Amino acid sequence: MNVPLKWLNDFVDPDVSVKDLAHRLTMAGLEVEKIEEIGNDWDHVYVGKVLGVSPHPDADRLVLADVEAGKHHLTVVTGAPNIAAGQTVALALAGANLIDGHSDSGQKKVLKPTKMRGVMSEGMVCSEKELGLSDEHEGIMVLDDNAPIGLPLQEYLGDSVLEFEITPNLAHNFSMHGVAREVSALYDIPITVPTGADLATLPAGNQNLVVIENTDLCPRYAATVCEGIEVGPSPAWLARRLQNAGVRPINNVVDVTNYVMLETGQPLHAFDRDMLEGGRIVVRTARAGEMIETLDHIERKLDPDRLVIADASKPVGLAGVMGGVSSEVTDTTTEVLLEGANFNMKSVRHTSRALKLRTDASARYERGVDPNLVAEGMARAIALLLLICPNARVTAFADVYPEPLQPTTLTMRTSRFEQVLGISIPMTEIIDVLGRLGFDAETNADSSQLNVTVPTWRKDVSIPDDIVEEVARVVGYDTLPSTLPWGQTAPVKRDPVYQLRRHVRDAAAAAGGFEAVTYVTDSETDVDAFRGRERGSAGLIVDVPVERMLRIINPMQSGRNLLRVSLIPSLLEPLGANLKHTSAARLFECARLYVPNGPDELPAEVEAIGFVIAGERESLSVYGRGGELDFFDIKGMIEHVLQRAGIPDLTFEPAIDPALHPGRTASVSSGGTKLGILGELLPDVASAFGIDDVRVAVAEISLTAVLASLPSGRRDVPVQRYLPVRQDFAIIVDEATPAGDVERTLLDAGRPLASSADLFDIFRGEQIGEGKKSLAYRVTFIAPDRTLTDDDLVKFRKRIEKNLKQQVGGALRV
Amino acid sequence: MQRAEFESQLNELKDAAERSLTGVSGLEDLQSWEREYIGSKGSLTLMFRALGGLDSADRPEAGRLLNQVKQSLTATFENRETELKAGATAARLVSEAVDVTLPGRQPQTGNAHPVSLMIDELSEIFALMGFQTVFGPEVETGRYNFDLLNIPSDHPARDVWDTIIMDTLSEEIVLRTHTSPMQARVMEESKPPVRVIVPGRVYRYEAQDASHEWMFHQLEGLAVDSNIRMSDLKGVLQELARQLFGPTRRIRFRCDFFPFVEPGVDFAVDCAICNGKGCRVCKQSGWLEMGGAGMVHPRVLAGVGIDPEVYTGFAFGLGIERLLMMRYGISDIRAFAGNDLRFLSEFAALTV
Ligand SMILES: [Zn+2]
Repeated sequence: MNVPLKWLNDFVDPDVSVKDLAHRLTMAGLEVEKIEEIGNDWDHVYVGKVLGVSPHPDADRLVLADVEAGKHHLTVVTGAPNIAAGQTVALALAGANLIDGHSDSGQKKVLKPTKMRGVMSEGMVCSEKELGLSDEHEGIMVLDDNAPIGLPLQEYLGDSVLEFEITPNLAHNFSMHGVAREVSALYDIPITVPTGADLATLPAGNQNLVVIENTDLCPRYAATVCEGIEVGPSPAWLARRLQNAGVRPINNVVDVTNYVMLETGQPLHAFDRDMLEGGRIVVRTARAGEMIETLDHIERKLDPDRLVIADASKPVGLAGVMGGVSSEVTDTTTEVLLEGANFNMKSVRHTSRALKLRTDASARYERGVDPNLVAEGMARAIALLLLICPNARVTAFADVYPEPLQPTTLTMRTSRFEQVLGISIPMTEIIDVLGRLGFDAETNADSSQLNVTVPTWRKDVSIPDDIVEEVARVVGYDTLPSTLPWGQTAPVKRDPVYQLRRHVRDAAAAAGGFEAVTYVTDSETDVDAFRGRERGSAGLIVDVPVERMLRIINPMQSGRNLLRVSLIPSLLEPLGANLKHTSAARLFECARLYVPNGPDELPAEVEAIGFVIAGERESLSVYGRGGELDFFDIKGMIEHVLQRAGIPDLTFEPAIDPALHPGRTASVSSGGTKLGILGELLPDVASAFGIDDVRVAVAEISLTAVLASLPSGRRDVPVQRYLPVRQDFAIIVDEATPAGDVERTLLDAGRPLASSADLFDIFRGEQIGEGKKSLAYRVTFIAPDRTLTDDDLVKFRKRIEKNLKQQVGGALRV
Repeated sequence: MQRAEFESQLNELKDAAERSLTGVSGLEDLQSWEREYIGSKGSLTLMFRALGGLDSADRPEAGRLLNQVKQSLTATFENRETELKAGATAARLVSEAVDVTLPGRQPQTGNAHPVSLMIDELSEIFALMGFQTVFGPEVETGRYNFDLLNIPSDHPARDVWDTIIMDTLSEEIVLRTHTSPMQARVMEESKPPVRVIVPGRVYRYEAQDASHEWMFHQLEGLAVDSNIRMSDLKGVLQELARQLFGPTRRIRFRCDFFPFVEPGVDFAVDCAICNGKGCRVCKQSGWLEMGGAGMVHPRVLAGVGIDPEVYTGFAFGLGIERLLMMRYGISDIRAFAGNDLRFLSEFAALTV
């Protein structure tokens, strides 16, 4: 809402700088988002009078105007069609910096005396556009006759406009009067409310002038019939104020309704009464099949529960939202019916939402308008209409208000202020502040309770703490000291998922990964590209077909309406983007997978970590050995991360997944629990995500599963006192035998003293025969109580030899 | 053998050995010298065998002389060895000189996302004030996201949270618009005293620009007890501001509206760059807005079965990305979900 300071000053004048005022209001909850200064760039522009207009000797379209502004008296050559002797105008002298009226971009130009067709033009008579007031450039701006000639225009027309953000609870501040009441309370200064007509003296109309069929949706409807209206432009002062408040002037009647709405907060509407069938108003819900063309010239079909304003036969307005074209006030209107009504906020909100139609009126009704405000708005509107149309007179007035709203009373403990705020405010000060805001407050006999009468315009105040806030915001939160909570603390508990997430995140970063944060949505195209069209599971580690994925009704990114069940597709996007400018990227993300439950249930949110890596293994350097990141790089990362997370025994087994390389994919598990999948992406899957000609290795691990697999409690791992003994074994097996099986056989046979078996060489060649490979392991043996001897090792060697033969068909190479 | 002959052989051997040793210039030559003279098969060692051929009366004296020579030669050898080793080491060091301005061998490491780092930091700060870090669901029911927070359907306040809505049969399920639903969930689970913070992702149906994202991170704080006052809220937030932005920072409350608190405020910290005097970063105001806060609305407390006459509480919410933008002067919020390595790696050097 825009509040021109001069308008506000009609009510209150705190005599402070506009900055101070804006700050004070902002701190008290009425946020000033911007202050617009109108006219502070109008140097060398004055209120002037056109003394005479004469033809240009050499040009038909130009005239010479003789203009006077105090000590300045000059000749201006102009083409403005509406200039005439006797007008009060804005006169710009040489040096004025004004918007170029012929430019579309609002460019400014410094005015210089210019010869026009042989005659020197010493200044300029300004249009609204040249002054930055509007886009009007057809003719010059004509000021009110009583404007003081010779005054700098800035002093006469300039203003500061405060632009407010009105939060939903502050409906009562949605007007000049509302803001003024706030200023009056904050600065403790009196407020003057402009006078309106005396409604009690108006002639009553026919009983049927207003009929409300749905009083629950329309608690009050007042109508004033006014004859002798001459529709035309508003006086300059009124039009100017509307413009400064951001409302376009239309004609005097419509302008008065808008002016009063801005001033009092009461929305008003004017009907051309001749266009109302029966000349009367019925407030009712729409009937099946009824239509209305609203003022924005859109033909709208009305639902049966829609509240409308109708005449004797048809809807003529959407209650609280917008009027209809059929009864619009036009140049030929002579009799108007002025509506001042109150509508149910939910009903207006429904209409406004359903029709996607928001107006200044609906914005106010939706927040809730005080039904008692109708009288103030109507009285003010009548007074202004009679002022502007001297021949107008009120012929009928009706005010249907079956159940007038009464103020409510709130009773609260006086100790509540200190209980909530932590400071003690004297009760006299509390009562004074509340009084300034329009609340009557008094304490009971022993001062233990405060009884507060809440004015009807404060619908937002319903509980004692609302009163606490009213006092606190006026007294000022700066008076609150900073204390720390005392007393008992909550039982101490650490979140195990958070702990685990931190561990795996740090381990993943130490293993070269950069943590990413990606959006949680996928498109169906992404899922197809990732999983193929076979319609198996859309997830890598959770089994959810695409049809079952959770769907968003209103996705932010077009098409991305599925809540993800794998982190990989969203990670591939930044992977591809990064590979465009860097030789390698390793990204990971800790986030959730949304696994659907029943159709109306919340999903299970599975904690996961996803990895995508591609590019050069090492950055370019003098030491680099190069090579492309592949399956074993991601496997190394996973091993590192899971070991750091505290998973003791990892098992990797070949696995099959529709998105992954059939020969380079593995599942990882621990103690029989599957933790995740890793592998290289199929080239055409990578390609579908815009990544070509590079291996992409991915992995996804369920942290929920990891957490379940963690051994409970820490294991006791003493530092071994005796030195380990290491022995190398070269083992010949069939090419197809997985190294993992060989390793497991070695460790099993070496139990309990073999602590690790590290593969350090793979050999293939004639010496060992075709279809065979030789795997060289270094096995570490260690005993807790002694140094191992050769005899021990001989024993192990025999067992190893036997087991290898039996379990993997392997032989020790000598 | 006669004793005289033995002694002259011994002296000759000693002279020869000593002469030979002066000619030794490398550690390898020295080893050969050692083998030749004092090693287990060296000439001097052989002399010990010759002792047996002497008269028994001469043996003690000859043995003494032999030992003397051996000690002397061994000592000379060891000196020479020390000398040569030192020389060899020095020579090796010289030959190993490198261009120390060549780049170091880089380990391949990454780092956590700045949002994670900030959440960890906040978690630690609040832990010192007795707050536990808990997490809640990102997909929420309308009941927790709105109703229990005093935002009934049809209330205009519901518009403020432009909501991303899930396709369901009848139940209203949404992507949580704030971390506040956890207020109700936590209070349902545990009786006062309650002190928790809730970091996590939140979602808004809101067009993206340099200061708006449809997905971002919030941190909710909640304290409920029989004696929680608004001044405690101010103290806790001031402590937070000081931990994040420096020990002299101040907090300012401004009246604001959130349906689930009453009184409600937004809070700002005085600008650390200009010390509150006004600069470009704080848009000349001297203050930087950090988040919203207030005293838990009695209807929210009552809604989870806590008597608002006995218990009071405060709640606050912070935007994590916003805090990072304030602290590091990041101008575009979209960088956080942009995942450009050039941005992410900027946070490798940040210590908590
Ligand atoms: Zn600053």
